[in-house]
Amino acid sequence: MGRDLLSLADEDVMHLVRRGDARAFEVIYDRHSPAAFSLAYRMMGTRAGAEDVTQEAFLSMWRSGARYDRARGSVRTWVLGIVHHRAIDALRRATVHDRRRASDEGIEERFEARERTDVEAARREEAGTVRHALQTLPADQSQVIELAYFGGFTHTEIADMLDAPVGTVKGRMRLGLKKMRAQLGEGQVAV
Amino acid sequence: MTTTDHERWIDAAGAYVLDAMAPDEREQFEIHLVACTICSSEVDELRPAAQALPMASPPMAPPPVLKDRIMAEVEREAQLLAQAGPSADRPEPAPQRERRGRGWSLLGGWRLAPVAAALLIAGVLAGTAIDGTDTRRIDADVDAPGASARLEVSGEKATLVAENLPTPPEGRVYEVWIQPNGPDDTPPEPTNVLFVPRGDGSAEAAIPGSVSDMQQVIVTDEPPTGSDTPTGDAILSAQIS
Repeated sequence: MGRDLLSLADEDVMHLVRRGDARAFEVIYDRHSPAAFSLAYRMMGTRAGAEDVTQEAFLSMWRSGARYDRARGSVRTWVLGIVHHRAIDALRRATVHDRRRASDEGIEERFEARERTDVEAARREEAGTVRHALQTLPADQSQVIELAYFGGFTHTEIADMLDAPVGTVKGRMRLGLKKMRAQLGEGQVAV
Repeated sequence: MTTTDHERWIDAAGAYVLDAMAPDEREQFEIHLVACTICSSEVDELRPAAQALPMASPPMAPPPVLKDRIMAEVEREAQLLAQAGPSADRPEPAPQRERRGRGWSLLGGWRLAPVAAALLIAGVLAGTAIDGTDTRRIDADVDAPGASARLEVSGEKATLVAENLPTPPEGRVYEVWIQPNGPDDTPPEPTNVLFVPRGDGSAEAAIPGSVSDMQQVIVTDEPPTGSDTPTGDAILSAQIS
């Protein structure tokens, strides 16, 4: 892989991906697959499920590179958005029982990524900020946010699960995100 | 927008950015968003918090074999794309048709890219596994000397497998159409499956949808971004029911 390619910003690499440049796509994969796989694993709860979702998501990006629009956000946000959609599709195809298990039991097998570069170290710090923002929310707010975002449940499913009115669940989601947004805005997380 | 309309969507922005709405509800909310500045500004405010959530996931390293699998497919498709020529690699105006289903609506302006469609060129879906034990074959009628094609049906999924297919006319690709169950004159519906055969005339394409909903699969030649109604000649058709 040429050094020139490695020195390009994501947005410029995507320009080459759009032209069908496999080496450029490999750069995007190398840069973002750890975050993508981590999200997929968090959502799917199994290594096999995470691999399937990550593979589907990256092949979809390769085939739809022209859909990336830098005006709408970073490549990383785009990548993670696609992974999230793919994982939700997979979760919603599964039975409620399976989803609850994955959501409640969390991750059993884990092989953590090593932090190798300054960039990754900075991301680790940002991750800590996000986790802290989530953990310091009132439990009823973080619960609905996690069930929705990582568990793939709709707000009506969550209302059923918690035996709470739908309006209450939606209100908790909104309030929790609002508080997170304020906390992240105060920190150094690039939101 | 009426007050009543907005009241219906109070507190909905959080569920929306978390992707916690059912598809129908999300579509209705997106229609509301176009007219409601209160909700759209709230979505803008909350979305960054939702977009930061992936960072709360414990860091995991993807296995190297995953990269090998993905890059093998990417390399193969890149070669096929190159073979498809410049017409497949040229930016096109926005297509009239988008992929069905969820997923992209939340991404707003990231619409189906035409070239990406062209990219599907060349039997991109060739990796679809066919389970030999449960697969039945449906031979297709092919309007080309020496060419053959069949559907390999496994459960509800079908894959089109063709051999010795001629290259489509210059500047055209093959598009797969599905004629749904119904009267014989039921019009075929377009799919997003576009392809050109490999150099040896072989091609494979996964047919979207359930076989039991189809009476016929048809392939015509169309412009590189596909068509909503057939404009070219049918190169093959496979009767399912």
